[in-house]
Amino acid sequence: MKTKSPNQIGPLLAIAYYGLRAQLRNRATVFFGFVFPLMFIFAFGFFGPSGASISIGIPENGQSTAIYSDISKIEGVSIQKGTPADLKRELSAGKLTAVLITENGSGDVKLLISQANQNQAQVAQSIVSGVIAKENLSLAGIKDLPINLSVEKVAGRAFKFIDFFLPGMIGFAILATAVNNTAFGLIFLKKTLVLKRIFATPTKGLTILVGQGMARVIVALAQTLVIVAAGVWVFDFTLIHGLFTILLIIFLSIIGLLAFMGFGLFIAGVATDENSVVPLTNIIVFPQFLVAGTFFPIENLPAALQPFVKILPLAFFNAAIRKITTEGVSIDQVFPQLLGLLAWSIVAYIAAARTFKWE
Amino acid sequence: MSKKSKKAAVKVKNLVKKYEDLAAVDNISFEVYEGEIFGILGPNGAGKTTTLEIAETLRKPTSGQIEVDGLDILKNTWEVKSRIGVQLQAAGFYPDLTLVELLKMFASLYQVEIDPIAILKKFSLEDKKKSYFQKLSGGQKQRFSLATTLINNPKIVFLDEPTTGLDPQGRTNLWQEIKNIHKMGKTVIITTHYMEEAEKLCDRLAIMDHGKIIKIGTPHELIDELLKTGFRREKEIKKATLEDVFLNLTGRQLREE
Repeated sequence: MKTKSPNQIGPLLAIAYYGLRAQLRNRATVFFGFVFPLMFIFAFGFFGPSGASISIGIPENGQSTAIYSDISKIEGVSIQKGTPADLKRELSAGKLTAVLITENGSGDVKLLISQANQNQAQVAQSIVSGVIAKENLSLAGIKDLPINLSVEKVAGRAFKFIDFFLPGMIGFAILATAVNNTAFGLIFLKKTLVLKRIFATPTKGLTILVGQGMARVIVALAQTLVIVAAGVWVFDFTLIHGLFTILLIIFLSIIGLLAFMGFGLFIAGVATDENSVVPLTNIIVFPQFLVAGTFFPIENLPAALQPFVKILPLAFFNAAIRKITTEGVSIDQVFPQLLGLLAWSIVAYIAAARTFKWE
Repeated sequence: MSKKSKKAAVKVKNLVKKYEDLAAVDNISFEVYEGEIFGILGPNGAGKTTTLEIAETLRKPTSGQIEVDGLDILKNTWEVKSRIGVQLQAAGFYPDLTLVELLKMFASLYQVEIDPIAILKKFSLEDKKKSYFQKLSGGQKQRFSLATTLINNPKIVFLDEPTTGLDPQGRTNLWQEIKNIHKMGKTVIITTHYMEEAEKLCDRLAIMDHGKIIKIGTPHELIDELLKTGFRREKEIKKATLEDVFLNLTGRQLREE
């Protein structure tokens, strides 16, 4: 008769609590888990294409005209001053979208547009021609226009770059925590013999894994909240349904973490030491980080690649979290993505179970 | 130790541990009596640690039987774990936790209540209670490791090369700590490859090589047996050793930062 295994609640909590404490004193965890994603958010939040504005150069002599004052009132257009020669140089350097030159003597104006960015050049051109058409009409004294264009603003959500970018950062942080921390954490416990010493106490292997997992869930929650808080306070990240959206984000983060942790366990089983962990985690984390919708929408990739990228684990997560944060849908609307994550986690946990070794 | 109290604390019978074709432990049998300090001696790779770790329930034997405190280690693994104290050959502690945190954590794992400061005091570590484990010196780490073997108030304590890498002062100090543990009435099983340590500490010894036990006895018996074969040291033994000289010159005070 084997003796009954002892109660595991106390050991479970001890492993989660002290594992977490040790983890938070580790600089690498703190850096990759918190500082790294925040650095990305600040870098892209401030310098990113969020203010992708049209800049038009207008020399000083052209700044007394009505055209100038009309253009300067248009949102999203910034006006650069300078001599015509300077402005032309900046235009060829790609720093300006267009340069508007007022011909001396006549009332004619000349618009120079950059070939570097065709789309922006088009926009600059239509802005300027719109303004000029309006000026022409008023100069010609026409008041009753045959065709009136009325523009009505439909209450659309102001979609900022941070609204796209931030959910991707949560995805990245969760994936990195789940894979790196789990794999490194277990290898570290093996190498420092902490695992062996714990096994000399009446503590089960599963208790250790679950306890470690609990510590990771807490880290992931903290990461998500820090990222969301930074987004809301500094960049005015849109929380469509307020607190409820935060709850959904947290819920999704936990699901994502649990799904991704399978890969970390798998790596911990395959790797023999810390050195072999690095390439393995990189293979899993970085390609996904680059293509699976963290920095740019998957739709921007070549069409032939998209079907493959869309079924990556991080792509499912990013798609789900963006639906929640940008479309404001409820959790049942992201069921297909959750199913995708589930499928991946089954694969990962089966692989982990087959490779996992305690020694 | 007196003859009548010879109850076995650890009973090893025909123990074999194979790694692929290599027999790390090759059919050994021995008993450790309650209340003694039992040494397992041998060169590196002799199978000492493997034997110890099987008894500690950390490795599974290929075949054979071990009883610890009367319990079969395979059938009563959990009970055995809570009745023994274990010091591993190297560390085994979160480097980034303080000594008090580590003691509390292990108390939770053993599911016992402890006074961490009292334990640290016993091993003159109370002023290190807030230090991270990784900041300790080699001797302090070994003392702390020894301290953790007492958390669950075990009957039997296993020590795997506790003094390896220590300076003479550290080693002498640790011997005293081990003797103190022994005085609490605990059975101590220790591996070492220092003969002097074995001679000074152990009531009985087993000498292992290539996975086999080649001799068991008290230090005196083993020496007398050798002398009977006509063996003599080449040089006359002096009444002091070089270690005595060293300790006499540098003092027994622990050298720890």
